[in-house]
Amino acid sequence: MSVADQENWLHTSPLAAIFYLGKIYQNLAKNAVPALTPVFVLLLATEGNLVIRIGFGLAAFVLVTITVAFLQYWFFRYRIADNSVLIREGVLKKTQLDIKFDRIQAISTQQNVIFRAFGLVSVKLDTAGSAKQEGHLPAVKKSLADALKERIRQGYQTGSSTKKAADNADGEEHREVGARTLMKLNGRDMLRIGLSSNRAWIFLVFLGPVIEHFDQKYGEKIDKQVILSAVESSQGGVAGAFGLGLMILFGFLLFIVIASIIGAFLRYHRFELVTDNDVLRSTGGLLTRHEHSVNLAKIQTVVASQGFMLKRFERFRLRAKQASSGKSGGQKNLVVPLCEPDQLPILSHEIFGEEFADVILEPTSAAFLPIDKQYVRSRVMLTGILPATVITALMSIPLGLFAVVFLLWIPVNAYGVLRKYRRYGVLATPDGLALRRGFIGYRVTAFLHRKVQRISLTQTLPQRRKGLATLRFYLASGSVRVPYVDFKKASELRDYILYRIESSPLAWH
Amino acid sequence: MLFENPEIAHDDLPQADSVTWLGMDEKFVRRLLTEAALILVSVSIGIRVLQFVFNTAFADNNVNISLGWLWLLIPVAAVPLFVWPSISVPRKGYAIRDKDIIYKSGVFWRTVTAIPFNRIQHVEKSSAPLDRRYGIATLQLYTAGGSGGDLKIHGLSADIAEQLRVFILDKVGASVERR
Repeated sequence: MSVADQENWLHTSPLAAIFYLGKIYQNLAKNAVPALTPVFVLLLATEGNLVIRIGFGLAAFVLVTITVAFLQYWFFRYRIADNSVLIREGVLKKTQLDIKFDRIQAISTQQNVIFRAFGLVSVKLDTAGSAKQEGHLPAVKKSLADALKERIRQGYQTGSSTKKAADNADGEEHREVGARTLMKLNGRDMLRIGLSSNRAWIFLVFLGPVIEHFDQKYGEKIDKQVILSAVESSQGGVAGAFGLGLMILFGFLLFIVIASIIGAFLRYHRFELVTDNDVLRSTGGLLTRHEHSVNLAKIQTVVASQGFMLKRFERFRLRAKQASSGKSGGQKNLVVPLCEPDQLPILSHEIFGEEFADVILEPTSAAFLPIDKQYVRSRVMLTGILPATVITALMSIPLGLFAVVFLLWIPVNAYGVLRKYRRYGVLATPDGLALRRGFIGYRVTAFLHRKVQRISLTQTLPQRRKGLATLRFYLASGSVRVPYVDFKKASELRDYILYRIESSPLAWH
Repeated sequence: MLFENPEIAHDDLPQADSVTWLGMDEKFVRRLLTEAALILVSVSIGIRVLQFVFNTAFADNNVNISLGWLWLLIPVAAVPLFVWPSISVPRKGYAIRDKDIIYKSGVFWRTVTAIPFNRIQHVEKSSAPLDRRYGIATLQLYTAGGSGGDLKIHGLSADIAEQLRVFILDKVGASVERR
């Protein structure tokens, strides 16, 4: 099917209005107060029965949003030209986008329940630029999305000699193999994802002070109760209230965990990772199917991480990071929410191919070399002893001898520093670098030397005395810092990587 | 085999540390000192205005607010402001090689940054009014990703900055890569 169409500016399906409606409500929910204030003012300003007023207000609200969504649909036109996707949109402020195929970093589609019934998808075209430069094609035929994907994939391949060209002998056969499923996740995995989600445990942190409050409040009451019960030998209301409080707390926790698990099902249900020639594609989601495709050559860094819960489950989370500018970058990454330790080498080989065959993402590997011990000394001095003594000295004026408690920070900090030191590990191979770090869990970041954008080497005063340095690699997806390594080795590595960057005939993007 | 990847001894590699460093423009220190003087003058004016405002505002109420100690700020700030440029500027330096540009800076934290030409996205030359007075310019080199601020070289003479800009852009354009 030829996707290119020179003349016609096309409309999407009218159902795109649903997509815009969703976006409008999302935006309203994000800044609910300022957005809804005028409505409230209007409601209060008009006279009449409150119920009627609210009903009227709601009706007006729904009508206005639907109209806006429909207008957005009406003014959205797109055209698929030879080398680019052209988009014209905007009701009041007109914008025109020209997204070149070879600038597209990744293509992702979403299909909610309504769209699925009509065979429609929403396509998002990620470029390396800012979020404003991204193209959305809401509610287009699935066949068009597939054709677009195919077109973009071909765009990569014509003028392309990406990494696969390295093993060109069987490269052609390779291409004919077509899509291969790398991994799937089942319902049990959804439970794991839900339980290990950060969101579930952030609430615990929030709850910490609340629990303390409960403890204090009811602790006192229980003390009283014990005395009272000694007199009256009746335990009633207050202990019951304490129990109730605990139950509410427990219920709340349970609710968060369940919500997190439901979230995992919604986002990753029937997750599937497929490799299709040079493209890595993930699909998943219960109601809305999310599909995300990334060209392998566009991947800058790969991050395998293992937090507190994932460590218990002996699983990893894998992210393939692409070029990004600033904050919006997070959403563009291809995420494998859960994978087994023995899948790590398979996936990393799939991503890096022969070019970085000796990459290791397992944090327990003995191949990682430690950083210099001076890291511990410097950090303990700078973040432990120095602030602790200063605060102790300052606080000893109002608190007197009691200020000594601030010195307790030193062992706490020292433990943390030591823990972090032990988790640091560097693996430098001829083709790429992997850095392991972490505090509670592990995080291994790997990249190819030729993807590095610039390198800086810094020496502080004590580092210069000890012949150490801190290396920092800037990649299009963010920077990677390797602290406290031997200065001579660091400069050698820097020179070698510069050589690799400058002699590589392959593009980094 | 499409390309070979023989092992290379480090001694055979071009070493970024063994380059001849080119310093910043000699007028750069003077420019920074002028700036320091301007800062001090404006702070003095600020203190004087503050004193005037306070004196007129509280003139009736017999409250005597002494702001004399503020003048202490001037010598306290003056020492680093006037001494620092002549310490830090000689430590800055850059070197142009065939395939990359290297920039060093820092007195306590010494940093050496290397940017290969085939990774530069665009180049920007700018000069503030005070820079123009001394014929000095800032060259800013942007790479993709934009994390942690891109390389900024302040203190080049305007002519050299322009030459570098043209030279680097030429190099950037010449580095054609296969995708």
